[in-house]
Amino acid sequence: MHSRRRVEWQILLLSKCMFPSLVLEALQPETAAVLKRTVEALMEKGAVVRNLENLGERALPYKISKHKQRHRRGGYFLVDLEAPPSIVSTMMDHLGRDIDVIRRAFIKHPVSKTEECSGIIPVNFEDKLTAKKK
Amino acid sequence: MAARGLAVAVARRSWAPAPRGEGPRRLLQQQALPGPDQPIEMENPYKEPPKKCVLCGIKVDYKNVQLLSQFVSPYTGRIYGRHLTGLCNKKQKEISKTIKRAQVLGFMPVMFKNTSFLTDPKICNVKY
Repeated sequence: MHSRRRVEWQILLLSKCMFPSLVLEALQPETAAVLKRTVEALMEKGAVVRNLENLGERALPYKISKHKQRHRRGGYFLVDLEAPPSIVSTMMDHLGRDIDVIRRAFIKHPVSKTEECSGIIPVNFEDKLTAKKK
Repeated sequence: MAARGLAVAVARRSWAPAPRGEGPRRLLQQQALPGPDQPIEMENPYKEPPKKCVLCGIKVDYKNVQLLSQFVSPYTGRIYGRHLTGLCNKKQKEISKTIKRAQVLGFMPVMFKNTSFLTDPKICNVKY
């Protein structure tokens, strides 16, 4: 069995929302179906889905034209998962064919390294000027 | 005139080399003599800690559109340069990349600044 390198990914979906459900907090059945499809597809390819977050439904910052439609509103979803990197291209393809997904993206999990910020070190311009070029 | 120049007593200029026997002998004899009164060598105790930029220690996230919008022009939506934001190298690059990412992923508008964030406190040194 070849060794699989597992990397953490965040996948972002903008799925189109037909009816703006501002009163109802529950998900529309269509949106739920989209998410279910996506997560199932991911699990089939061997991804471990950790978390599924709903970042809310809002007006898009700009109109997006996709699948012969102009979208102005969308629901943002975030899927936290662990998967081998080979999954990315296949999943992007798969999601591209889904009509209900407006925009999809795989983002590597941000590794928090901001503990050693040493501040702005003043640059010595004299040294920089007279530095020898290699 | 030459005649006048000769009449006036010429004082030795500072750039003229001192004749032998005169003038200070530099460097070799300047080492401090040991004793209880001499200054102790140590690092500057009054040294200030290095200045930190506004985002030092703050994690920059593409979902945090309000933070990102503070470094963007309200009229054109362009990202401000380093001389305006005052950020350090690392953070400026991070912010730049994150803004671009947020714009592509549909979190942040491109050509303008989100209207709800127009009244946010100003971080950048821009005079409108």
